Amino acid sequence: MRKRLSAAILGILMAAAAPLATMAQDSSTFRLGIYQDAQTLDPIASSDNGSIWVQLLIYDTLIRPSKDGTQLEPGLAESWTSNAEGTEFTFKLRDAKFSDGTPVTANDVIASLKRAQGDQSNWKRFFAPITKMEAVDGKTVKLGLDKPFTPLLNNLAMFSASILPAKQLEEKGAAFFDAPIGSGPFTLKNWARGNKIELAANPNYWQAGKPSVKQADLMIIGEDNSRVLQLQAGQIDAMLNVPVNQMQSIGSSGDITAKVAPVFRIDFVQLNNREKPFDDPRVRQALNYAVDKEGIIQGILFGTATPATSSMPVMRYHNEELKPYAYDPAKAKELLKEAGLADGFSTNMLVTSGDATAQQVAAAIQANLQEVGVKAELQLIESGTQWDTTKSGKYQMSLSYATSDTIDPDQLIGFTAVNPERANAYHTEWKNERLNELYAQERVTPDGPEREKMFKEMEQLVHDGAPYIFLYNKGATYAFRNNVEGFEVLPTSNWRLEDVVVK
Amino acid sequence: MTLLLFFLRRLIQLLPVMIGITIVAFILLRILPGDPASLMIGARGSEADVEALRQQLGLNAPLWQQYLTFLGDVLNGSFGQSVVQRRPVSLVVAERLWPTIALVAYATVLAIIITLPLATISAIKRNSLIDFSIQAVFVAVMSMPAFWLGVLLILLLGIKLPLFPVAGYGTGFLDRLWHLFLPALVIALGTSALTIRSLRSSLIAVRSAEFVDTARSKGLNEGEVLRRHIMRNSLISTVSVLSVHTSWVIGGTVVIEAVFALPGLGNLLVTSVFARDYPVVQGLTIVFALLVMAISILTDLAYAAIDPRIRLQ
Repeated sequence: MRKRLSAAILGILMAAAAPLATMAQDSSTFRLGIYQDAQTLDPIASSDNGSIWVQLLIYDTLIRPSKDGTQLEPGLAESWTSNAEGTEFTFKLRDAKFSDGTPVTANDVIASLKRAQGDQSNWKRFFAPITKMEAVDGKTVKLGLDKPFTPLLNNLAMFSASILPAKQLEEKGAAFFDAPIGSGPFTLKNWARGNKIELAANPNYWQAGKPSVKQADLMIIGEDNSRVLQLQAGQIDAMLNVPVNQMQSIGSSGDITAKVAPVFRIDFVQLNNREKPFDDPRVRQALNYAVDKEGIIQGILFGTATPATSSMPVMRYHNEELKPYAYDPAKAKELLKEAGLADGFSTNMLVTSGDATAQQVAAAIQANLQEVGVKAELQLIESGTQWDTTKSGKYQMSLSYATSDTIDPDQLIGFTAVNPERANAYHTEWKNERLNELYAQERVTPDGPEREKMFKEMEQLVHDGAPYIFLYNKGATYAFRNNVEGFEVLPTSNWRLEDVVVK
Repeated sequence: MTLLLFFLRRLIQLLPVMIGITIVAFILLRILPGDPASLMIGARGSEADVEALRQQLGLNAPLWQQYLTFLGDVLNGSFGQSVVQRRPVSLVVAERLWPTIALVAYATVLAIIITLPLATISAIKRNSLIDFSIQAVFVAVMSMPAFWLGVLLILLLGIKLPLFPVAGYGTGFLDRLWHLFLPALVIALGTSALTIRSLRSSLIAVRSAEFVDTARSKGLNEGEVLRRHIMRNSLISTVSVLSVHTSWVIGGTVVIEAVFALPGLGNLLVTSVFARDYPVVQGLTIVFALLVMAISILTDLAYAAIDPRIRLQ
């Protein structure tokens, strides 16, 4: 009796499910599987990718990186000029409207940038050089600096410089960000936290005829394998972060395409230059020769990366003449011998726990080092703790990476190589006076061949000084069903959905 | 009246437990290196920027003061502000509460549906082939990690036979019932492995008890004897097993929610710990404790319903 009852209940469950099992394919909606939710839509209070990606879809900036990440192109400003000294920038705004229909004015720009400079902003240092802001007329903004600061234009192209409606921001305060208004291609329709973010096409968007989809749903699916399964089942149209070992198989059914996008990311092993034996540049170079980067790229990353020459990825002003350290265990041993370490030494390396790829790479590095007599013990560590441990200088080696928010190399060189600076050469404490000098100079030199030379020299200095074991530039993997057109991951790791077409 | 007294007594017992839990959660979190300010500023700011944010978030006050602030926030019902989302914790947690509760309740119902018939068959046909097969299947299930069983079910019932969605939460009651079926089934199978064993052995023990012979000699048919006498007397120990296991499942939803992309408390806990969002993690520990407490109250009510001799104390 009971058995029959439970069979009946199961039957009812199945029957209820059956009509739903056919997934409706709606060409006006694009569903993208992402791996982390946004935290906040306030551009000055966020630093996580989830938040940044969504902000870049609903807000505009004055200028923005071009799709290929090589130059800046007009955003809300249709053109801009600067004086010869580089201390004054004038922006002409295009005729754009916020999604509620109100026009974007010079006052909105000034209020947004003042906010980005303010005390509540996590990003104030990026906009601090602006000392004067003036609305010449409703559509013209003039920004004044006390002294030249070349990276400013790139900083204005960042999400944290998003332009928000001044009046609403003032009226609503923090509540503004529950239902934010921007001038970007999409508006926030509904946000079921941890589940999905529904975006609707902005009817007032300034680019006529875009976006082509009426709605974009960002589905939050933390597990890589779950995202793959949902893409294969047709529950989503595209996904980010395909596990590298599934890049080949995901497309085998013929209805999915997988791609690798070159992004501004650099993977390396931080070396604590204050600790023996890492204070000796010969030892650091030896470690660079000891690691078989190509082997790791082919064996573990399935070819989705390219060997790195320095702590800078391939981006603007990259020094093409530099070659990555070759895999040369004999040379590594020789250098160690010169440094008085013919028998090698023992050390340990921090590795992020819960990151399977990082652990495989760490094991490969460990085996490579073992061959030249260096015994590295691996220590698994949670990501937040890893950051704090390297910051406090209580470490020897740490497997990590860095990414750039801007297309200008100033941000990454400042972070990974300059000391003293925000992170003291990303906690390696490596110090090079010449590089510090060049860094100060490039920031006041107008963009052009001269500034390019400075960056190339800086990259050479980092390469020779080897504060890190340089590993590779890892591409971003993504995949989409073949009825999707125009979806790509940009070098800055975000994506523009106004060009996506679902057939 | 007794019911009201019972609830009151339970609430009073709850207070010291709660205070203990909040203190432990509070201290454990702060022993972890890393704090929300340095993780949020990360690579993009200097020590001075981190310090300014710390001041803004009230992380520079002495620990005892921070704890008292937190207790105040609990008493006024807001549980403080999420550091990362900049919204009240009560909101942040409330919107993630239902998927987890729905999942655990669904799994419990499924576990009961699976357990009752299978345990009964196992007990009646003791040591037969069918008894051994049931036992063997569930020993196998028990020794599988939940995430692996989850992926297996996704492949079988989501991809090979596309009966169920492979992940997600759905919208509307029926759609959710359908979306939550696989994750609930994974949990239910794990639970059933325990409850089937426990119910089978008590059924076998009770079947040979004297009062059952008495019932039979009164001329009741076998079905009625089973329902009215054997089952009732056997369920008590199984309900205990179920209740203990369900409390444990609440902690275990973290893995299942990750595999099936469910926007529940487990998922929120993981991301909040990684971001060191202290107020959210503290709020969550209280909610988890309340859920476990609620299950134990429900268990006591179930005892009383099954066996009238048991009084609510």
